[in-house]
Amino acid sequence: MGPDSAPGPAVPWQKVLWERQPFPDNYVDQRFLEELRRNEGVRQYRYWSVVKEAGFVGQQLSCVALFITLWLYMEQGLLSPEMLLLTSLVCALLGYGLHQVLTSQIEPGCEPRTRLADLQSAAIFLSFTFGFSPVLKTLTESVSTDTVYAMSAVMLLAHLVSFPYAQPSPPGSLSLNAALFASVCLASRLPGALHTFAMLSCALLVFALWPCLLQRLRENAPNQFTGVCVGMCIGGVGGLGTQSLGGAMLLAIALGSVTLLCPLLLVRLQRHKDNIHGPWDEAEIHEDLSRFLH
Amino acid sequence: MVLKIFFPQCCNRADSGLLVGRWISGHESAVVLAVIHYPFIPGQVKQYVQQMQTRSGVELSVLGSWSLPKEGQEGMESFLRDLSTIFPQKRWLQISRQMGKTGFICNVLNRDHDGESAQKVKRKKKHEDVKGDEGEEDKEEEEEEEKVIFIHYEQRKVMMSQLHPIENGLQDPKTDSPSELRQMFQTVAQSQPLFFMDKYDDGPLKSTHWQSEGREASIIVELLKQASVPLCLLVTWLLSLWTWICNIRIFSLYPFCFLSSKLSTCVQLSYRTEHMRTLSSPRPAAGHTQFMRKANIFVSFLVDVALGMLLISWLYRDNHISMLANTLVPAADHVAKQLEELLQWLMGAPAGLKMNRALDQVLGRFFLYHIHLWISYIHLMSPFIEGIFWYGGLSACLGLTFALSLLSDMVALLTFHIYCFYVYGARLYCLKIYGLSSLWRLFRGKKWNVLRQRVDSCSYDLDQLFIGTLLFTILLFLLPTTALYYLVFTLLRLVVVLFQGVLHLSVDFINSFPLFAVGLRVCRFYRLAEGVKFRVLCDEPGTALHLLMEINPLKVSTVVQTYRTPTYSCYPKDSWAALVKKLFVGELIYPWRHKTTKTD
Amino acid sequence: MMEDEAFTDINGKTISLDCQSHSSFCREFTVSSPKTSMAKVMVYTCCVWLLSYTVFFFTQNTAVLSAAIVITLVSMMLHIHFVKVDHESLLVIGSLGIQLSSNYASGRETTTFIEMNKIKDIVINEAIYMHQIIYFLCVLLKDPSEPDAVSSVVPLFQSSKPRLNCLVKIYKSCQEILSKC
Repeated sequence: MGPDSAPGPAVPWQKVLWERQPFPDNYVDQRFLEELRRNEGVRQYRYWSVVKEAGFVGQQLSCVALFITLWLYMEQGLLSPEMLLLTSLVCALLGYGLHQVLTSQIEPGCEPRTRLADLQSAAIFLSFTFGFSPVLKTLTESVSTDTVYAMSAVMLLAHLVSFPYAQPSPPGSLSLNAALFASVCLASRLPGALHTFAMLSCALLVFALWPCLLQRLRENAPNQFTGVCVGMCIGGVGGLGTQSLGGAMLLAIALGSVTLLCPLLLVRLQRHKDNIHGPWDEAEIHEDLSRFLH
Repeated sequence: MVLKIFFPQCCNRADSGLLVGRWISGHESAVVLAVIHYPFIPGQVKQYVQQMQTRSGVELSVLGSWSLPKEGQEGMESFLRDLSTIFPQKRWLQISRQMGKTGFICNVLNRDHDGESAQKVKRKKKHEDVKGDEGEEDKEEEEEEEKVIFIHYEQRKVMMSQLHPIENGLQDPKTDSPSELRQMFQTVAQSQPLFFMDKYDDGPLKSTHWQSEGREASIIVELLKQASVPLCLLVTWLLSLWTWICNIRIFSLYPFCFLSSKLSTCVQLSYRTEHMRTLSSPRPAAGHTQFMRKANIFVSFLVDVALGMLLISWLYRDNHISMLANTLVPAADHVAKQLEELLQWLMGAPAGLKMNRALDQVLGRFFLYHIHLWISYIHLMSPFIEGIFWYGGLSACLGLTFALSLLSDMVALLTFHIYCFYVYGARLYCLKIYGLSSLWRLFRGKKWNVLRQRVDSCSYDLDQLFIGTLLFTILLFLLPTTALYYLVFTLLRLVVVLFQGVLHLSVDFINSFPLFAVGLRVCRFYRLAEGVKFRVLCDEPGTALHLLMEINPLKVSTVVQTYRTPTYSCYPKDSWAALVKKLFVGELIYPWRHKTTKTD
Repeated sequence: MMEDEAFTDINGKTISLDCQSHSSFCREFTVSSPKTSMAKVMVYTCCVWLLSYTVFFFTQNTAVLSAAIVITLVSMMLHIHFVKVDHESLLVIGSLGIQLSSNYASGRETTTFIEMNKIKDIVINEAIYMHQIIYFLCVLLKDPSEPDAVSSVVPLFQSSKPRLNCLVKIYKSCQEILSKC
């Protein structure tokens, strides 16, 4: 006898297994599908808010493009390492000031880092980078250029893929490491040790510190954040345009699709979403377990 | 129930008399050991059996009568029946053989507890080779309440053989009794005093058993037995002297202690001392196992010394030693030159591999300097090499194993530079591998949790991540260079280890191979028995069953496995997989086995 | 009394069972394996020689041919000495034990004798052999200290592998003897 054919006794069916009933174990009655629920807890997106959020992705993309542009300039000798170092220093100081300003606006929830700790970190970065730059310079000497480029490309892609766009303030390990690996590879192809040092400092600025500042900006000044994103995108395309027009075109297309086309698709396709829930789902524990943890 | 009578083949043609033997309790079987001939005085027989029983510890008794009628001795039937009243037994066997026939006839007289004898007669005959004895068929028509199997055995072989697996020590009466065959073998082996009486004895009794034609003995063995006592004393005295020297305090200091545990000559010396101590113990060997162990050690020792003498006779003839010494220095020079070329090759672009030039140069120069050091050391040593060989060769008179151990040690000393290269390479490589594996975890944002023995995720600081990645990149790009140096020197090291391993194996083979046991298996196969096998002698239906019990010799592989002298090769070895894993992560490998390593 | 009957083994080849009754409590069963066919030997030999001749044709090295001859001879000798079993026999002696022996084609004989106090029973068992399920006779052994447990199993007629009808015949007469003692 099939599961749906009711034997028709007077006893009503109960959805329990611990009582002996005149039904087969897999029997269900007519009320089975009454508990079906569709699209539970689905958020309806609005196009422009999605575009705003996607701006971060586009901005990160153009950051990578900017870094590559800087490296191209360095490799061709159009940009001296001193110049780059100076610019980086100025940018870092400005950014640090801005960061401090933005941090002081919010009330301190947890203990903020002291200036001394920041200074210590900076000293560690600079000394290690400076100390290792001669080693790094000879590191990939015997490896062929194509291999190095391929490795850097893969690593930068891994950086973009694994970047924690939602919460970039403590930088994700894999994304940051991949970006640093790529920048070490690229920097080791530069002509001198100072070049390597400058390039690595620049990489630190672009990949490690800049997302932190941007996150602060997104939290405290959303309007300016949008402007900064748009500015970064334009800067990235423009910078790459001075080196290779084709690259700039590609970047522009990529930016357009990521920030404009993909949100459109998301909003359009949301109509077709059909997610069913019911008593067959596995049990979920709704209690907040965090209080057991401490 | 079937009655089994184990009957010695040597008594097949014995004169008539009394059967002496033992009933094996619980198995319905009787072991016939000897036949005591007429004429005898029953009191003397009783006394003799009693005496033998106390001497051998076997419950001997008179089992029954045996008659092989000769001319003029007919009609003893009634006399034999009367004998059963003289020797009171629960059961009385009357085995007889007829003139010109090969068949045995067996009557079993069962006596009840109250002494009244009820007789059940059962006649069987045996045909060894006669087939057409139709005339005796009538005797088998009597009632067959009890069946008899005759199992013929060769007394000498059974007495000398040792059933395997060996049951250690004496039998514990509390545990279950040993099997029937084992009991039968034990009975025959223990009743050795019964077989001492031969026909040249002028005692009142005459008997037939395997030694009744005269006792077997060897003059050489007896002489050796006499000579062994003073020899053992001398060896013991020498050993005590040697032990005293070894126990001087300076030898227990750290460097000596360490060296002696690593030099294979010292290890071999300690083994040999232990073996000699076993051999020279004044007590006779208790039990079969210990006797075989002693004999094996002794024969191995003799063979070892003989081989060593052969080596010496070759070495000290025709100035072979100086020839060897003169070839050694050029050979070492040659090896050094080859190594230099190898290093030069590695410092270039070996096999088209692109290595880090700076590190390559540093490592290459470092190793070149080592070769230079080693060559100077060899040249410094060269005047003394002949002397070392000359005195070292003398060690062969202690045995070939000593010469081989010495050779192994000399190889180890002469290839010390290869060992050094290997250790530097392995340490560097090991450091890299461990660094890379932990930095790879950092790269993925994970860390190793020591307490839980697993990989956990972890949030690192910005500066930790930065420095970690920097180091990871550097280590990753330098890994091929280090790995190549490691690979090349590991291969060199493996060649040396393999050579030393072969030497160690051959030393170990000489030390542990049970030559005596294998010789015994080859020449006297019945001494080491795995079990027995039976052959049916009578193939005519209706007649009694006559079986021939033969000894099934132990397989040679089992002999080697059972009797090999325990040495360090018996310890569990590392598997090949473990070795490959060690090589992969850069752990050091050594030729000596007792420190958890390999090669065979 | 002697009986000689023809049976087939699991591959359908003819084997012969020879029951010899020495006494009411002692019987011997001999199963003779099928003879190696001449064609098979020829095929193997030809394979080796053709292969070696091909190699010789390309290398022009006569050592290959001599090696082929030596290989053929040695492998034949090894085969008849270690692999090819001519006949297997089972000797059941009531109250004494069971003796299994197999005679190789070269005349080598391996014998094992199992004492009665170690034997628990003789049974016919099923086994999965390659792609088929076969029956085989086996002796169940026990440890004398633990009479109820089966300590190990000794399969019988391992190389000739007779079919069930042959096994049943042997089984019945074995049980007849074993039940008497």
